[in-house]
Amino acid sequence: MDIYLKDCKLSERTRGLKEAYFKAMPETCLERARLITTYSLEHGLFGKRISILDKARMYRFALANRTPVVWHTGGYAKGMVPFKFTDTSLFAGSTTSRFKGVPLYPEFLALTLWPELWTISKRSANPFFLSEEDAKELNFGIFPHWMEENITELARARCYRENAGAGDRCAPEMKLMERLVFFLASKPECISHTIPDFSKAIYNGLRAVINEAKARGEAATDASKKEFYQAISEVMEGIIAYSKNLAQKAREMAAGETDQGRKAELLEIARINEKIPEQRAETFREGLTAVWICWTAIHLENPNVGLSLGRLDQVLFDLYRKDVSSGKLTADQAVELLSCLWLKIGDHVPCIPEAGEQLFGGTGSNQAITIGGVDKEGRDAVNDLTYVMLRATELMRLRDPNLNARYYPGINSKEYLKRLCDVNVTTGATPAIHNDRAVISALMSKGETLEEARDYGVIGCVEPNSAGRTYGHTGAILLNLTSVLELTLYNGRHRHTGMDLRISPPTGELADFKTFDEFTAAFGKQLNWLIGHAVNLNNIFGKIHQDFYPTPILSALFEGPMEKGMDVIQGGATLNSSGATIIGLADVADSLSAIKKIVFDEKKKTFPELISAVDNNFKDDLPLLVELTTKAPKYGNENKDADGNVTWLLETINKAFDSKQNYRGGGYRVGYWTMTNHAGFGRLTEALPSGRKSRENFTSGITPVSGVTPELAKALHSVAKQPARYLSSGVALNLKYTPECGPDNKDEALKDAMLGRFAASVEGYFSGLDGNPDGGMEIQFNITTHDTFIKAVKNPEDYPELLVRVSGYTAYFKDLNPQMQKEIIDRTEYLLSTGSHIPYPPFDLGGDKNSPC
Amino acid sequence: MGLDDLWSKALKKQLLGEVTDEFLETLLKGMDIMFFLSNDYRENIEGFHGKYVFKTADDTVKVSAIFDDGDLTVLEDEISDWDARITFASPKALWSFLFSKNQDILDSLLKNEVEVDGNLNYIYKFGFLAKDIIKRLHLA
Repeated sequence: MDIYLKDCKLSERTRGLKEAYFKAMPETCLERARLITTYSLEHGLFGKRISILDKARMYRFALANRTPVVWHTGGYAKGMVPFKFTDTSLFAGSTTSRFKGVPLYPEFLALTLWPELWTISKRSANPFFLSEEDAKELNFGIFPHWMEENITELARARCYRENAGAGDRCAPEMKLMERLVFFLASKPECISHTIPDFSKAIYNGLRAVINEAKARGEAATDASKKEFYQAISEVMEGIIAYSKNLAQKAREMAAGETDQGRKAELLEIARINEKIPEQRAETFREGLTAVWICWTAIHLENPNVGLSLGRLDQVLFDLYRKDVSSGKLTADQAVELLSCLWLKIGDHVPCIPEAGEQLFGGTGSNQAITIGGVDKEGRDAVNDLTYVMLRATELMRLRDPNLNARYYPGINSKEYLKRLCDVNVTTGATPAIHNDRAVISALMSKGETLEEARDYGVIGCVEPNSAGRTYGHTGAILLNLTSVLELTLYNGRHRHTGMDLRISPPTGELADFKTFDEFTAAFGKQLNWLIGHAVNLNNIFGKIHQDFYPTPILSALFEGPMEKGMDVIQGGATLNSSGATIIGLADVADSLSAIKKIVFDEKKKTFPELISAVDNNFKDDLPLLVELTTKAPKYGNENKDADGNVTWLLETINKAFDSKQNYRGGGYRVGYWTMTNHAGFGRLTEALPSGRKSRENFTSGITPVSGVTPELAKALHSVAKQPARYLSSGVALNLKYTPECGPDNKDEALKDAMLGRFAASVEGYFSGLDGNPDGGMEIQFNITTHDTFIKAVKNPEDYPELLVRVSGYTAYFKDLNPQMQKEIIDRTEYLLSTGSHIPYPPFDLGGDKNSPC
Repeated sequence: MGLDDLWSKALKKQLLGEVTDEFLETLLKGMDIMFFLSNDYRENIEGFHGKYVFKTADDTVKVSAIFDDGDLTVLEDEISDWDARITFASPKALWSFLFSKNQDILDSLLKNEVEVDGNLNYIYKFGFLAKDIIKRLHLA
């Protein structure tokens, strides 16, 4: 097979659909919220613990009564101008009733939109269309019923009860989270971050799942298990009903269709949806339909944040191979099918309020797909479908799905790696590349078997979990590590919350620290304190999910729950864990290095003098700022002290989380990917001893600070030497390479040379080093010229498809807030032909009053 | 010029950002009059029971607003059984928190000028009630 598939182009169908997709603005969709609210009112589900059977019946009702959209007819363009188009998708159904919808989950954060109901269509940051009629329905008919009933407020009430002895309305962990600057918990928004097991739906069909559930239910003696199996049957019937409704609608449309081509397509859709997912899939298209219909159902239950599809090139390969070998399917047709599916997968965006957009905006739904790597037996798993998926991704250049490629050095071919680099050059930002050796090692360090670890898929941004069997809520906690530094420097206080308020127990005034070790010991105590509170809150939220948000749909499509007779939220999955991600790693590491050098090693300043200058944002001590930024050791330059501080932080954080257990009996795993949070948290934080000035962005993921690592090889080695066993929830190493050959460059020799160097840089980073045989874990790129980014800031409408890697997921550059755009522009850019950085001056945000420039 | 017009003029000024120490009083009074004058606006609080406290950190301002199925009662004191409490640094900070958009919301967070306690959904509901006045007065 030609792995580049250059002869496969966008078809007329996919070109038209893609054009409409990029034209459409997101529209708020009330359908889910309306159906759930109606059912809850009619069946008295408010104000009490909700059983899995109650939930299952509710979802069956919603699935059977939701609008069966076979083909959309239009959307809203920029300025909320309605437009029409001719839908020709090969897949029927949709996540919402809109072409590009914003589903609302009032059980979670939908009510944050309440103050914006009249303005959300016109807000400057990523507006969502909402009609006046729908706004009124939300205001009067939906939101009022959920004021006491959503996950956040149920958890707050639980906190009050658990702390009743400490005073009225006492919820210390909740308060800490709502101060924004310490940590965020994502359970108020979702659990989601996981990969379902689609294999049963594809190869057995949902009727077989129902039959299994009935048999197990009849054999069970435990009432809760009987209820569980009954719930599974309910939701599977609901999904089947939805697909059959689509089939019926397609037949009705076909009956009125005069165009014979469209009529035939509608009848084929009807045939497939009448059969799938109830029965087993027999063709590649049927297999994709099974995935798609189940995917829409999973989103009815689980908010559209980080739900991921897993190893589709493995799961669907048998059907692909069978169709190709029998002559039923060509690579061209497969690319078209996948392109249609990719657009369907991206048919929704998450509900984000305006303040959220300003702080953390620009995200899609972060639906990761994983390709390549090795199989459970350790053999090369890259196949023809892997390359078909790469080609579809290359042609479509979409934010969602977020493609992640696995690469096992020495097992996967170098041609495959080169192709991954090639697609990165073409798309500018995808796929992210994961080192199988490091990831498998990290997962095994958390107790997974070799076979389970080898079968990992990537979730959300970059988080690896054994696909379809680990319920791992990988983004449960987002912890701002610079706040631990603050609490240590200010003896339990934080500058954002004020010097009058003690947040954590005192660990010493600055003048008390006689050695660097004393200071790091205090840092460790503050770290343990903050992690303890973050974990407590996550576990409280988890218990609320257990009591009020059972998940029968996900449980039916997962390894473990059917065998145990237990919902995934109760611990039914084969493997259970929770994930924390750490923001500000490089900023804290470099601050520790600076403190050690300036205060303790060279004694150029006393500790109070250093921090006094930091407090003053270095305004009165420019020489110190120069010393900190140019002479203090920086992570990413193979400096033993600086890189050693990173290792110490990773080990200390991992150890602190290792001592904790989640509400499902699983452990905690730690990752270093930051999405846009390094920009958001940065805006809330004053200057740091590293020389980072007040309100500036933090550094993303596990990446060294921008602009301080001039040599690519040293930067890669510094990151690669960090032990994989401390990074079990994934990392994002964000690099920028100058596109020495653009996607349209015809100079094949130049392109080949760049791709060769590109692949060599990845191979080198993944190679084992002294002390770390696993090599670097993950790497992702932005390959767009500096000049293009500057132009895109000034004229965003000229660059609607400019795709970027944020820190984990992909986004459209135009959707990012100015601070995040600046962070991407300011990232260290390397010229592969020299291996050195190109020293651009920091980008000036200009009129932005919050600009740190 | 009638009393309502006088009030409307004062409220419009405050809503548009000419914020004085009387901002909170004017807003709550404005809501109360609007509930009286507009059946549509009153519909927002029919069946709604919510108790709010608005105060400054130094306790120089303490106001309670009690919504009770179509009625609003304002007290110049802090009730103890509130559903939501907003502690603000200045009237301008409260205004920014409720009305302004884009960067200004962020400003109030950055400056740590507004602190909320209790059920956040009551805050969101109050935010809608406040912004609904802006729409009805055609100030948006």
